[in-house]
Amino acid sequence: MSTAEFEQSVVVLEEEFSTPAQRGPVELEARDVSVWFNTRKVLEGVNLQFPKNTVTALIGPSGCGKSTFIRTLNRLHELLPGAALAGEVLYEGEDIYGPTKDPVHIRLNIGMVFQKPNPFPSMTIRGNVLSGLKLSGMKRSNHDEIVEQTLTSAGLWNEVKDRLGHAAGELSGGQQQRLVIARALAVQPHVLLMDEPCSALDPASTLKIEETIRELSKEITIVIVTHNMQQAVRVADYTAFFLAAENEPGHVVEQGRTTEIFGNPQDQRTLDYVNGRFG
Amino acid sequence: MTTTFDPATLPNLQQQKKMHPWRKRTTKFDVSVAIAVAVPMVFVIALFLFSDMPGALVFVIYLPIQMFASGCAAVATKGNRGIVDSVIIVNAVGASIFTFVVILSVLWSLVSNGLKALSIPFLTQNSTYISPSTPLEYGGMAHAALGTLLIVTISALIAVPIGIATAIYITEVRGKAVPYVRFFVQSMSGVPSVVAGLFILTTLILTGAINTSAFAGGLAYAVLMLPTVARTAEEVLRLVPDDLRTGALALGSTRARTVLQVVLPAAKTGIVTAIILGIARVIGETAPLLMTSGKNDATVTNPFSDPISSLPIAIFENVAQPYPDAVSRAWGAALILMVLVAILFTVARLLGRTKVK
Repeated sequence: MSTAEFEQSVVVLEEEFSTPAQRGPVELEARDVSVWFNTRKVLEGVNLQFPKNTVTALIGPSGCGKSTFIRTLNRLHELLPGAALAGEVLYEGEDIYGPTKDPVHIRLNIGMVFQKPNPFPSMTIRGNVLSGLKLSGMKRSNHDEIVEQTLTSAGLWNEVKDRLGHAAGELSGGQQQRLVIARALAVQPHVLLMDEPCSALDPASTLKIEETIRELSKEITIVIVTHNMQQAVRVADYTAFFLAAENEPGHVVEQGRTTEIFGNPQDQRTLDYVNGRFG
Repeated sequence: MTTTFDPATLPNLQQQKKMHPWRKRTTKFDVSVAIAVAVPMVFVIALFLFSDMPGALVFVIYLPIQMFASGCAAVATKGNRGIVDSVIIVNAVGASIFTFVVILSVLWSLVSNGLKALSIPFLTQNSTYISPSTPLEYGGMAHAALGTLLIVTISALIAVPIGIATAIYITEVRGKAVPYVRFFVQSMSGVPSVVAGLFILTTLILTGAINTSAFAGGLAYAVLMLPTVARTAEEVLRLVPDDLRTGALALGSTRARTVLQVVLPAAKTGIVTAIILGIARVIGETAPLLMTSGKNDATVTNPFSDPISSLPIAIFENVAQPYPDAVSRAWGAALILMVLVAILFTVARLLGRTKVK
């Protein structure tokens, strides 16, 4: 992206999010989240708010705990051996780690798309899209409609509409990734977490997914981990910069509007990172 | 300044033909290989024809001679670095041929001896009123084949669900008792088959709980089949990538649904293999059946009431008789057992084919 284009996108975003009123209520919030794997502390004191119907990008060098953090937001972190956590994650004002909370219910509302496309190999394209409904026990009658609608949102409909009965494994990597996005959308989550969803994709597929993200953010809250800084600028309303010193737990160095983080960062390390001087 | 692709500047492009430059060999290479193949062969054949050495010994010394010859050829064409390659290749090919020969001889002895007994009555009749000296034209093995099928079906109905459930406990539930469960499953696979029969005999048959019957035989077989199914199923479930489990859980799936609708379907072919291996483990076992299902010359269809014959027992009974016809019956029964196994495997493979739905 050239400087002129960058400036232009900054202007567009500033216009879109210039007043605090547009920020809306906070849907998801992390309070003092610290994370351990066995005895190793990998994340320390993360405080982040994710306003309703916005896109927040988590950026930072590899190994700073972004992916670990995003997995704490829908209780997938606890599935890893040796996992421990302190702090709170509030979804609609309630701690998702509360004793009465059911992780299955949480994950139904807070969906996730992973770095590596993981369509279910034993199911067809159509079966994959509908798998969330089946797996979560949701009863819906308008299956055809859901398949078309979610695949259209994920930018895949035109490519697969004539072979919905084929195995999902036949699709290319980029198509598989858009398929799992459609799959995540079919259960109508309120929040969608995306862990580097475009890292394995070509520029054209990436662009399609970014369009999808912008489109979806009108209705749902999105948190996206990305190593691609231009991507953060293109899709995110807010950005949080994570950093971990050597053998230290990672933490959020700076957070705020994407325009501020990229245009006028307060911390020297953020400035260096967003300008590609390290990381 | 960059260069772009322009076919016009490459006039030779039209004349290019498909080649396989990596297949090119020098004459020296061809000659060395030919000598390395021919000399040991001629030497061994000569030994076999003109010396008193027994044939088996000639076969055994062939491998080192061939290895030496190949080593010389390797040095001649590739220098010292070729020696290791040639030794490994000769050994691998030699070992494969040896295995192949062994399997073929077993099959051949089975088919050549068993075919003598095979006839329509042999496949459809039982052995009532048949004594070891009765000619081959009378009586058959249908009752024993039915017995084996009954016993194996019963044991599979018991051992397969328990075995798969055990594997799911180990790989999917990952509960606290996993190390102990694995330890016991592993120990169970070391239980001698005769002990499994003895166990059912003393605990269930002698106490009067059940009769000597197909059901008792199935129980003894199940004890043997369970660890094989559990361990193989565990291995294949472990191969299912964690991405799929996390992916399902991220969609709001419960653990049970994740296992039933994502993990097991993804491992379907492997699970079928586990079942096949379990059946293969038991189908020829004779010792446990001697104590649990016994023998019966008549056809039995009730799996709970009476002693029942099975193919391994029929082989065991007939093969030691001093009458050639009885021995032929044993071979025939063995052939039926083999064919039965082949049919079971084919059917299982067809069912286990990955079909996406």
